[in-house]
Amino acid sequence: MNFNPGDLYGVLPALLLAAGALVLLTSEVFLRPVEPDRRYQAWVAAAFAFAGLWASLAQLGDPAQPLFAGAAVSDGFAHIVAAVVCAALFLSCIVAFSYLESLRATRGEFYALALFSASGMCLLAQATDLVVIFISLEVMSLAVYALCAYLRRGKRPAEAAFKYFILGSFASAIFLYGAAFAFGASGSTRLADLAATVRSGSATTLVYASAALLAAGFAFKVAAVPFHMWVPDVYDGAPAPVTGFMAAGVKAAAFATLVRILVSGYGEGGRWRGLIVALAYLTMLVGNLLAVPQRSVKRMLAYSSIAHAGYLLVAVAAMGTSAPRADAAGALLFYLASYGATVIGAFAVVAIIERKLALSGLGDDLSSWAGLSEKHPALAAAMSLFMISLAGVPPTAGFMAKLTVFRSAIEADLVPLAIFGVITSVAGLYYYLRVVVYVYMVPEAKADAVQGGRLLSAGLAIAGCALIVLWMGVLPGSFAALAQSGAAVFGR
Amino acid sequence: MVDFFHAHQAQHYLVLAALLFALGAAGVVLRRNAIIVLMSIELMLNAVNLTFLAFARFPLVANSPMQGGFSQGHAAVFFVIATAAAEAAVGLAIIIAVFRSRTSVNVDEFDSLKL
Repeated sequence: MNFNPGDLYGVLPALLLAAGALVLLTSEVFLRPVEPDRRYQAWVAAAFAFAGLWASLAQLGDPAQPLFAGAAVSDGFAHIVAAVVCAALFLSCIVAFSYLESLRATRGEFYALALFSASGMCLLAQATDLVVIFISLEVMSLAVYALCAYLRRGKRPAEAAFKYFILGSFASAIFLYGAAFAFGASGSTRLADLAATVRSGSATTLVYASAALLAAGFAFKVAAVPFHMWVPDVYDGAPAPVTGFMAAGVKAAAFATLVRILVSGYGEGGRWRGLIVALAYLTMLVGNLLAVPQRSVKRMLAYSSIAHAGYLLVAVAAMGTSAPRADAAGALLFYLASYGATVIGAFAVVAIIERKLALSGLGDDLSSWAGLSEKHPALAAAMSLFMISLAGVPPTAGFMAKLTVFRSAIEADLVPLAIFGVITSVAGLYYYLRVVVYVYMVPEAKADAVQGGRLLSAGLAIAGCALIVLWMGVLPGSFAALAQSGAAVFGR
Repeated sequence: MVDFFHAHQAQHYLVLAALLFALGAAGVVLRRNAIIVLMSIELMLNAVNLTFLAFARFPLVANSPMQGGFSQGHAAVFFVIATAAAEAAVGLAIIIAVFRSRTSVNVDEFDSLKL
């Protein structure tokens, strides 16, 4: 096998992030005697995340080309996903800085782990070989498991990490079994060779079994019902900045790979569409229904993330027909970007509220949000903006994203699915607006809800997220054009 | 029947691998000890390795479109083994973290995140 060093340029964002992680780990060794203050780590990590963002945006115009003898690909779709991941990492580093400082929990590993997981996410979006997908998936997941357990206070973080680890590894094993079947059916682990086998129509039982197992493995990762049981516990138990990063980054990378496997590997005929449509119905219904009774904002956001996985699955299902495939892929990318910006902002606000609770190892409750508008009107306004964006109310990013997804579903003749999506998102208004009601209308019960101090960097990140959410909602043109250019690789 | 047991074919290994995978999956779902749950996941991964090797040694299709041919199945197994080792390391570290907070590795007692 010929190794072409020029191919390394195609995976530049992942390389930059991995290099950043190594720099942070090494600096931890060498600077330990001199520098007990580790605040520089957040800024180094943010700088590398920004470099990754810049690299992935700089590569946007490059023509799509296979890398490493077809094991990966450098195309617009992967670059957009890498940009979303790097932007999510950048914002999460800034949020985590103030969170960890206020908890006095800045240790050496946190930012290195975050960079490693982000580099796995970037590779995941580029991989076109089932073994490469598996390895990138594990690079991403192992780092995120460790990040979930990062806060060593109380029982909850380690328990959340354990649940995530067991179900995540279980899903990886199922995915891998599907990869083995695909290898048996086609004699190759490349998605392109798999597509050729699917087209020729041979070894159908093995092909169907592999498609089902691969889809089930990724349904776990994207938190589709009925593979969603881990989500509320993990989102609840993990530190809030990590949860935001997971919700934005892991979801983007996992959805990109799911699309890559289904469209590039099993694309011909689109017989997987029925499966995805069923998953989308279930996920939208169950996610929205179970979010209603939640008193903890983190758990509510976890179920909301399941519901959003359902809306994203609508876009994936719309890619099952050949006609508007690029439109649906563009809608998916736009949705991933808007959801990422919204959810990182929301979890950044949760992080500020949570810091006192995290010290005592307890969960959060809606009552700790009461009266926020009197003490911190800016935080209250930002949280309300993120909530109405998640609910899909104009003029926010969430509205434009839902609009494009449902429009692509209607173009793909999935009208009942689109109608069902609209109905469930209207139902979702109830639990999102309840947070707004608590923030603005319920008088404060306890006097010590939020402490000041070190709010500046988290405030900057929240302001950045709010700006993106409003920008994508009011002037979606440039973002939509970017998403469309990234989705053009699926335009066949 | 004689052919099934004596001919050198993939199906013996595939059936064995499927059984091992099912045993591992059952272990993850049913066993209550966190360490045994971890072992069950390793069993699932090894069942996958056996499947890869069976397909590499007794191919179902005439020729492999990849460079290196069916030996890519052997290569995949090495990657899986390496990844499984990393997974076990992280998993054991998490189990130790859980054990330190509650001095038990019984999965039924991990309930501080329930509603």
